[in-house]
Amino acid sequence: MNGQLASEVLKVRTTRTTVGVLAGVLGVAMLATALHAFGLPADKLSAGGDQLQVFIDVGSNMGMLFAALAGAMAFTGEIRHGTIRPTLIGTPQRRQVVAAKTAVNLVTGFLIGALASGAVAGAGTLFLRARGIDVHVAGADYWELVTGGAVAAALWSVIGLGVGTVVRSQVPSIVALFVWVLFVENILLASFPEIGRFAPGALARTMAGQTSGTLDSAVLAALLLAGYALATIAAGALTTTRRDFA
Amino acid sequence: MTAKIARRGVSLPRVLSYRRLIMNDPQRSAGPSAPPPLEVIALTKRYGDLAAVDDVTFSLAAGTVTGFLGPNGAGKTTTLRLLLGLAEPTSGDALVVGRRYRELEHPARHVGAVLESNDFHPGRTGRDHLRVVAATAAIGDDRVDEILELVALTSARDRHVKSYSLGMRQRLGLAGALLGEPALLVLDEPTNGLDPAGVQWLRGVLRAFADGGGTVLVSSHQLAEVAQSVDRVIIIDRGRILTDAPLAELAIGTRTLEDVYLTVTAGPR
Repeated sequence: MNGQLASEVLKVRTTRTTVGVLAGVLGVAMLATALHAFGLPADKLSAGGDQLQVFIDVGSNMGMLFAALAGAMAFTGEIRHGTIRPTLIGTPQRRQVVAAKTAVNLVTGFLIGALASGAVAGAGTLFLRARGIDVHVAGADYWELVTGGAVAAALWSVIGLGVGTVVRSQVPSIVALFVWVLFVENILLASFPEIGRFAPGALARTMAGQTSGTLDSAVLAALLLAGYALATIAAGALTTTRRDFA
Repeated sequence: MTAKIARRGVSLPRVLSYRRLIMNDPQRSAGPSAPPPLEVIALTKRYGDLAAVDDVTFSLAAGTVTGFLGPNGAGKTTTLRLLLGLAEPTSGDALVVGRRYRELEHPARHVGAVLESNDFHPGRTGRDHLRVVAATAAIGDDRVDEILELVALTSARDRHVKSYSLGMRQRLGLAGALLGEPALLVLDEPTNGLDPAGVQWLRGVLRAFADGGGTVLVSSHQLAEVAQSVDRVIIIDRGRILTDAPLAELAIGTRTLEDVYLTVTAGPR
């Protein structure tokens, strides 16, 4: 294994940050699922399509948000703690550093997304049954929810890494990502749905199985989202290569 | 360094017996045609109109300790960042064993550097910090444990760095720099936060390193300490080198290094 990749793997394994993010996404996803499953009127939850939509909304939003957070922190955390200096002194070929972080974040993002979607699917099903509502989500839908959610979160983690690499500061990067997912995309979808369905959050929901107001193909959505991830990380690699580090 | 020094229940080990742990680089036995460990050629870094580093030229010989002195903002740290590839020079070059830093494949095997005393993740253990650094140069855990012993952090190796004193952090940083058995050590203010026993210990480590053929560039404000530990002095101010001479030529008779330093840096600021 490439030395920088081995080092990046050790970085995520030797602090509690990754475990904290996984625990955080699990807790928040369960809480949001409970609020939806018990809070929404029963007639809004009786159809299989409505049930799946709740799972997709919660699972894919939580997955991509926490994956983006982990991605951004992979770089901004190094700036914050000053470990970027030993990192770049150890590997002055900065593109290698960005590439190794990208590879590691694809994996952590995938795990975060799988955990978020899996938790929502499992807890959502249990919560609805506990409320006495029959669940009409098919097995194939669960499969698409979890795999699509995991792959989308892996790509979103790379987007987060790219944003963190360009912005460098931890709080502004995370605020920017959250504002985009929670506000800008919603406004875009409401005002310009034809454009909004190409937004990276909408693509993630398409990959998780949403069919209304989205692209027709989950594969096309995945390719487009991969394009966003590639563009963001390319910008991050370019700025990282050109900038001086204090 | 003759006696074992008790320090917060941790003994700083005798340095000389650890010399073999510090250096073992075949490059050091290279012939006279080998490139100097560090060669800085007309190095310049401009930020707009300000020249933070202005036409700096010097070269270090193997087996020497060089003190890099200057007031705050003189350009010391910027020079170190340029030669470690963290910043790009406006013009000029800095060559480590004959190559630009960014062109070195496993720089940790040539250069050990510490720029800040606190470049650690607070929630990572000291040992894991070193493993992260070691992995980039394919250095194994055995060497990590060996170097932890050298800097007397074995008993604290599984504690999070946030519980370390400043002196322990300085020693952990130095451990990271020594991991790859480099030929050149670059240290920015390594004595900050060290107590007198720690300062004496560091002096012994640097001397043992140079006696084994290694080269040290150390920036410092502790002139009395520098006078005891270096062979040569480079004084920089406003980005330009003002003095570059063997210590023995500067501090003569009753004239101390401090006298020399204050005289050459006394111009209008």
